[in-house]
Amino acid sequence: MSETFEDQTFDLAPLLEILEGYKDQKGAVIPILQRTQEVYGYLPKPILKEISKRMRIPLSRIQGVATFYAQFHLKRRGRHLIRVCDGTACHVKGAMKTVDVIHEQLETPPGGSSPDYKYTLEIVYCLGSCGLAPVVVVDEKVYGQTEPDKLVRQLKRLD
Amino acid sequence: MIEKATITIDGKKIQARYGQTVLQAAREHGIYIPVLCDHPALPPEGACRICLVEIERQRTLQPACTFPVSEGLVIHTHSPKVMEARKFSLELLISDHPLDCMTCEATGNCLLQDLAYEYGITGDRYQGEKHSYAIDASNPFIVVDRNKCILCRRCVRACTYINGVEAISVFYRGFNAYIGFGADSTMQDSPCEFCGSCVEVCPTGALWPKMTLGKGRPYQLQKVQTVCTYCGVGCQIELQVRNNHIVNVVGVENAPVNQGFTCVKGRFGNDFVHHADRLTKPRVRKYLLEGGKRAGKERGEWIEVDWDTALEIVSRKLIETRNTYGSDAVGLLTSAKCTNEENYLMNKLARQIIGTNNIDHCARLCHSSTVAGLAISFGSGAMSNSIEDVTQQAKVFFVIGSNTTEQHPVIGMKIRQAVRQRDAILIVADPRQIPLVDFATLHLQHKPGTDIALLNGLMYLILKNGWEDKDFIAERTEGFEEFKAVVEQYPPEVVSEITGVPQELLHEAAQIMGTHKPMAVIWAMGITQHTTGVYNVMSLANLQMLLGNMGIPGGGVNPLRGQNNVQGACDMGGLPNVYPAYQPVTSEEAAKKFSEAWGAPMSTKVGMTVTEMIPAAKEGKIKALYIMAEDPMMSDPDTNHVRECLEACEFVVLQDIFYTETAPYADVLLPGVSFAEKSGTFTNTERRIQLVRQALQPLEGARPDWQILCEVANRILASPENGRKVDNQAPYAHWDYRQPSEIMDEINALAPSYAGVKYERLQRGETFQWPVKDEHHVGTPILHVGKFARGLGKFAAIEHIPAAELPDEAYPMILSTGRVLYHWHGGELSRRSQGLLEIYPKPLIEVHPEDAERLGLNGQRRVRVTSRRGSIVAEAWITDRVLPGMVYANFHFPEASANVLTHAALDPIAKIPEYKVCAVKVEAVE
Repeated sequence: MSETFEDQTFDLAPLLEILEGYKDQKGAVIPILQRTQEVYGYLPKPILKEISKRMRIPLSRIQGVATFYAQFHLKRRGRHLIRVCDGTACHVKGAMKTVDVIHEQLETPPGGSSPDYKYTLEIVYCLGSCGLAPVVVVDEKVYGQTEPDKLVRQLKRLD
Repeated sequence: MIEKATITIDGKKIQARYGQTVLQAAREHGIYIPVLCDHPALPPEGACRICLVEIERQRTLQPACTFPVSEGLVIHTHSPKVMEARKFSLELLISDHPLDCMTCEATGNCLLQDLAYEYGITGDRYQGEKHSYAIDASNPFIVVDRNKCILCRRCVRACTYINGVEAISVFYRGFNAYIGFGADSTMQDSPCEFCGSCVEVCPTGALWPKMTLGKGRPYQLQKVQTVCTYCGVGCQIELQVRNNHIVNVVGVENAPVNQGFTCVKGRFGNDFVHHADRLTKPRVRKYLLEGGKRAGKERGEWIEVDWDTALEIVSRKLIETRNTYGSDAVGLLTSAKCTNEENYLMNKLARQIIGTNNIDHCARLCHSSTVAGLAISFGSGAMSNSIEDVTQQAKVFFVIGSNTTEQHPVIGMKIRQAVRQRDAILIVADPRQIPLVDFATLHLQHKPGTDIALLNGLMYLILKNGWEDKDFIAERTEGFEEFKAVVEQYPPEVVSEITGVPQELLHEAAQIMGTHKPMAVIWAMGITQHTTGVYNVMSLANLQMLLGNMGIPGGGVNPLRGQNNVQGACDMGGLPNVYPAYQPVTSEEAAKKFSEAWGAPMSTKVGMTVTEMIPAAKEGKIKALYIMAEDPMMSDPDTNHVRECLEACEFVVLQDIFYTETAPYADVLLPGVSFAEKSGTFTNTERRIQLVRQALQPLEGARPDWQILCEVANRILASPENGRKVDNQAPYAHWDYRQPSEIMDEINALAPSYAGVKYERLQRGETFQWPVKDEHHVGTPILHVGKFARGLGKFAAIEHIPAAELPDEAYPMILSTGRVLYHWHGGELSRRSQGLLEIYPKPLIEVHPEDAERLGLNGQRRVRVTSRRGSIVAEAWITDRVLPGMVYANFHFPEASANVLTHAALDPIAKIPEYKVCAVKVEAVE
């Protein structure tokens, strides 16, 4: 069994496994969505519909929860998440320059993904490491005092 | 005992109750506290901060809508601090609101506008970013303008707590938050059913009925409270009229059944009243004007004539037919769409003027088996309980053969509310995956036509576990031992084999039924439209007696009647075997009563049913048919055969508002009027009699049906050719009614269960459920309390009998038929409602994905469905709503009506056709 959305085909088997675990639990929308996002990388619409149908949770309620929390993503994400800090210190140190260069050279707009879904770029506000400004976090790795061109070279080397 | 609390509001001491909010207590005592997000029909939300009040010894201002009452509260509703806070909230709301009140539809009916006026808010104070959402007018019913939304969440709560599908929610956060549908789609792509409850509660112009755009301000409209003309639930609606046009429809807030809410048809489906197809001039066939005879089945061309000519022809032909062939050569079809008064007159026309009991109507095709079955088991054939007690008190709902949310939507909503809000258990037994299944604890998906086996199987398990109500059985019933002996032949392994329901589901269902009380049984056509219809009903009566669920609130047998006034049409004697109030025509006593009242001899011979009259026309036994607002070409089984019969009938009068599918087979057409153009009463499914008030002047040229019937009767009475003597000294011989209330006076005198149904009472706002024994009696919400109408309830020993036509090699699939939410019966009304037709524009045939694959179908392919009687072609809807091996079709569209395929195999007692099962073959069409 599978569903297709935005040219992607999703295998439903892992979803069914997740849902099985919450079968008798009421009000488990958030953990279901978290685990689903872990598997699929984001929350594709057909998957939400499937959750709604199988768990008998109204779709609008799921959509409400998924859009309320910043942790959930409704659009397809790249394999690597680039978070550029634009808090006060990083901003002063030229964070937006980094954003522009990533946008230009990796074709990844802020809040969006590259056409090949290799990167997703997010602007965040203060990662609490102002001493390292400008800070960029790629996946789980922190890059301090970044220089845009060097960072892009490093990013290109990722899988 | 609920504890009282004394609280002081604005210096006034009042007695409030614990459990109330400050707002509720204030409202009850007529103290005004402004609100935006609160609505009396919805749970409090506390979102808008407009109802803030100052409560002494509270640190901050408190929302009255959520603050609970307790002893000694001292509250100020309009202190300077409160006024300042309200102004601030309003200023902020208005700062992001289009100030276009001059052209806004909601002007005059907008809480925000009222409050801005009250608090002097102009919108100058705060300037900031404003939203600019695109207006969504893409669905036929509701315009969504999010720029006017104040995020009060009334619509969210209405969809959750009133409708129950929860199609609406708030998406995103903060300034970006907006009201959305489904997975952020349009309304029509979400689970929305367009009941319009969201529109009803919206305090601004954010959700607005499309049909009303530009048609008038709320204060320019004349408002008339009446009863919806679609289904038998009996919702009260308010027609809002301007220039003799219905421009808006809303629910009546204090209506006993619907409390201000409706379904899509009731709210948005009334524009058929103004459709260009309305008949405005009587028509007769040319041969009738030339005094000649008809050439065989060719009826020739129509000529428009004046009323006198048409009525003269009708009365002359009816007299001629009776004089030549006898009274029983005339058949009359009365109408479940018309008022009680009109049905009473049709019954009087048949029995007094014509002298026949050949009168029937579409109740034959829907609940005749219920009426017959319950009469045998209990002595009275109506819904035993009230919608209110059933939906509020049943611990378990057993819904069998009723697609409640689509066919009786407002009751369906209430079942969903019971499941969601008070954890009532729902068991659905239906061969289809109907929408209610999503709310059910159990779904018993039995094969069509195996209801008796299923019910016997459940009762077997109830008995085996000792869950039966022994006291009830001993004190109030008879025939238990014989019944038990038969039920013992239905162990789960046998029943599972016959029905296809897994054994463990049978056990679970029986356990729920046996260990929860009260349980209400609800059914409709899925039970009745079988050759075993009467036995199906009696099996349900057995079940409720076995469990002791009769005569108590939250229990009972609850057949949901189809048409708005099908209950009333039966009550008024629109049946071949009974006078009004079910006085049998075979009873000498009743015959004497009506002969004396009407001044003419009465026939004691039971007349023909509609399913007998129509075939009798082909056999030459029925020579003339008088049809009032019925459409047998759409509603009766085996359309091709019906056509042949009507073609053969010598003289057919059709009184209707449209040129229906039956009209080509009529000789005379008499234009009647819709429910909005006349007054009278309708009786709903729970026996509640409600006033229908005239909202429009009749369309020019058309006449109220009761007046037409009076004209026909008076002409026959006055004709020198009339061979039937009527004693005009008899108290109710005359036909000189000036208004419908005078007809009701006559009904009061002759129909004991309507004795106390007085217009003065109805006009005062009283509504009551029959029997209403006299003018002081308040009616009877629950039947069979303490004693059945027949004395003891009768258990019946009933064996499973297979359907009359089962699949075989040539016709390997089962066809079941029915309706959909957006249409109504033969579609005469709903196909002429622009919005309803737009949202469901063509017939669809439901096919299971497995069958679709086997047949080589995909989403867009058309199918041909063929039975032994006919063939239709329509688009397939591939869905697991149906079982494999089964297809489902509706009878709303003449181009592919299910009734071309259905057959006229009849229940031997009730003569109801088996619409729900016949054998068909299905092929893909290139």
